[in-house]
Amino acid sequence: MLTEEVIEFLSKIPPFQFLDNSTLKQLVSGVTMEFFPKGTAIQYQGGPAPEYIYVIKKGEVKVSIKNESEEVFVDYRGEGDLIGYMLIFGGNKARATVVAVNDTICYLIKREPIQNLLYTNPAVREFFHTSFLSKYLDKTFKEIQNRNLVYSGGDKILFTMPVGELASKDVIKASENISIQEAAEIMSNYSISSLILIDADGNPSGIITDRDLRDKVVSKGRDCKEPVKNIMSVPHVRADVKEYCFEAILKMVKHNVHHLLIMKDEKLKGILTNHDLMLIQGTSPLSIVKDIEGQTTIDALVPVSKRINNIIGLLLNEGAKASSITRIITEINDRLVRKILEIAEERFGEPPVPYCWIVFGSEGRKEQTFKTDQDNALIYADPASSEEESLAQEYFRSFSLFVREGLLKCGFPPCPADFMATNPMWRQPLHVWKKYFSNWISTPTSEAILNSVTFFDFRAVYGETKLLDWLKDYVMNMVKDNKVFLGYIANMAIKNMPPIGFLKTFVVEKSGEHKDKLNLKVKGLAPLVDIVRLFSLEKGIYETSTIERIMSLKDKHTIIKEYADELLHAFEFILLLRIQNQFEQLKKGEDINNFINPNTLSNLEKRIAKETFHLISRIQDLIIERYKAMIW
Amino acid sequence: MYNFFKIRKQETLSVDLEKSISEANYTVIDTELTGLNERKDSIISMGAVKMIGSKIDLSKNFNKLIKPEAKFKSESVVIHGITPSDVSELPAIDSILSEFAEFCGDDILIGHCVSIDMAFINREMKRVFGNPMPNPVIDTFFIYEWIRTQTPSKPCFSYVPKDSGLYEIAKCFEIPVRGAHDALTDAFITAQIFQRFIPALINLGIKNLGALLKVGHPEKGGDKNSKSGLIYNF
Repeated sequence: MLTEEVIEFLSKIPPFQFLDNSTLKQLVSGVTMEFFPKGTAIQYQGGPAPEYIYVIKKGEVKVSIKNESEEVFVDYRGEGDLIGYMLIFGGNKARATVVAVNDTICYLIKREPIQNLLYTNPAVREFFHTSFLSKYLDKTFKEIQNRNLVYSGGDKILFTMPVGELASKDVIKASENISIQEAAEIMSNYSISSLILIDADGNPSGIITDRDLRDKVVSKGRDCKEPVKNIMSVPHVRADVKEYCFEAILKMVKHNVHHLLIMKDEKLKGILTNHDLMLIQGTSPLSIVKDIEGQTTIDALVPVSKRINNIIGLLLNEGAKASSITRIITEINDRLVRKILEIAEERFGEPPVPYCWIVFGSEGRKEQTFKTDQDNALIYADPASSEEESLAQEYFRSFSLFVREGLLKCGFPPCPADFMATNPMWRQPLHVWKKYFSNWISTPTSEAILNSVTFFDFRAVYGETKLLDWLKDYVMNMVKDNKVFLGYIANMAIKNMPPIGFLKTFVVEKSGEHKDKLNLKVKGLAPLVDIVRLFSLEKGIYETSTIERIMSLKDKHTIIKEYADELLHAFEFILLLRIQNQFEQLKKGEDINNFINPNTLSNLEKRIAKETFHLISRIQDLIIERYKAMIW
Repeated sequence: MYNFFKIRKQETLSVDLEKSISEANYTVIDTELTGLNERKDSIISMGAVKMIGSKIDLSKNFNKLIKPEAKFKSESVVIHGITPSDVSELPAIDSILSEFAEFCGDDILIGHCVSIDMAFINREMKRVFGNPMPNPVIDTFFIYEWIRTQTPSKPCFSYVPKDSGLYEIAKCFEIPVRGAHDALTDAFITAQIFQRFIPALINLGIKNLGALLKVGHPEKGGDKNSKSGLIYNF
């Protein structure tokens, strides 16, 4: 019979793959198959909710949403992907516009039986819950959903813990008749981020949050003598004490609120914030930062630093963008480094001359994920005398050694190429650094190019940051119009050709341990970083992170002007893929590396990967065109 | 059960000619025969699939093997893979016919080179019930030919298929053609072809059943010029 084919198809794709055969049979008992020619809309945002979930059997669709006037691309979906599943959580209007970008055939499965599975099948519940969340938590909607993590589960606690256990019990309440200022005063007295307002009968009538004070009062220049009633949010969203945490998250997401009122028998029992929800998973970026700040010895920092990797998993599960993850991780690592430097200063006393601790490589670009090698150096102010010079040398020698050991204890292995402040070469006064760069730039040997490229991504983490600014001014001035030197850098940016094979398949490693795998760092990340660095040098941009570089080049560089959005997308995508891959490796107890098996990618991911590599290749062609004379 | 008195009274079903072709109910049919001689040969299997507009209902289909009255020819064994011993235990056509008619209901019937199927089905219907199938019939081959004359350059409509062209046309639309050459599979392939035709027809102004019957009816429709040269060649 014809449904057998459908069952066979569904049994390979989530969430249907979690179902047994008899459940699948029931599900397809009313299945139909529909054809959508290229260019037709399958559903319109705001149109009636389709009574089906569409499973794409063949073809591709584009999902977009309109916000106010602008059409925002959400994603492409292909074979095996679903359309319209958000509606199983309720609502009677289609939430997005879906258009067939190729002739598309879908299986149409009735929504109701799938909805019922939410209550009877935990795997299905988790699948929809997670895909729903990762799509919605990030409001830009631009994010790629991570299949692997979605299916591997985790965070079971979300499904087993009732919100009543989590919600803060001592709710601070105030009358709805007080003024905005009085409300803010109460909030700062109690150090709370939200305040419940109650009516004359003691029933909660509204809530105000830090966000309201910022968005509705300060930024609007509103008079804070106004009654708080004018800015409070009503009606607020409630959850029963017995509801599970995941339901609470869904409510928050659905209503776009960060607080829920937890009710028991119609009475306000507590309040739940999204931060509480992050905390139950053991880690919150904020709590780690607080813990780092509170320590005074290296040994006390060690256990805190061990928790940093968990944050990445947490953020991934919450559907954070790769750039947000790296930003948070960089911020935390910076604080850790600063703390270690503070401890070092305390131990060795005031430095004889001002200095600046700099980091480079991925750390310099703020693109750190899991613990990476130490890549650091030290610039100190030019000493006034040879006596001061030898004092400085002595001080910073033992100082940097202490820092290196501290970092090592906290999980940052030493740099194998010895790019560290402990190496006397990379621990020098400003004038020596200037000389380094002028030598590299005037005689660009391959080693010089490598060194300068490494250091071009430098960033001050601690100390007298002016030292680095001066060095940057000096270097940028020298590089900006130096066509010859830029030619060398251009050669480097086109060195790693992206893996687009003749048959549009991935070119993977041909032999060795990683045979048939794709090196994300060498083939994807490095070319992007190199391209964007080249353009920044051309325009004298000081930013070091690839994303910040793209942003500030947007109006300055003709190529970036045209490709900025695509580049940002591509970079986010490769970065996310790499983080997910490494997190999976870490969870399995494997050593982390940059190799990914292309077969584990979803169709959508494969498609985006290909587009990314095409983009890189296109821009490399433009670079070759630009630097024709100097490319060899 | 199907009301056969209704059939006797009424030669053809009345159809709402204004009904949109993307909302009408269709039953896509196919039969397998022992051969093409209308007097000597007989039906050995019947398959049918339901469509509502361009939605193919995969869960409602008709698939019956029938004990043939005529003798097997070795050629058709090769085509269908059904051997005489396979069919000796099967029900006779008489008992299947009413089920089939019931399955078709008041739908528009669709088939590829459907005249042949209808000739055999109606021969049996007349023999058993005294009346042919009352449903209007549409031929996907005629529709294909018609679209081709309207838009000869459109992909998949640009060539003249060698024979009835069911599989050829299917392949061009990337409709999977595999498995046995049985009546249900072929009906399903035909349904998928018709599914592709619906948007193309609407683009060409064929929006309601009245217009569809004009271009797709095996006796009235099709392109007059090519019709004379049309030979069903299995």
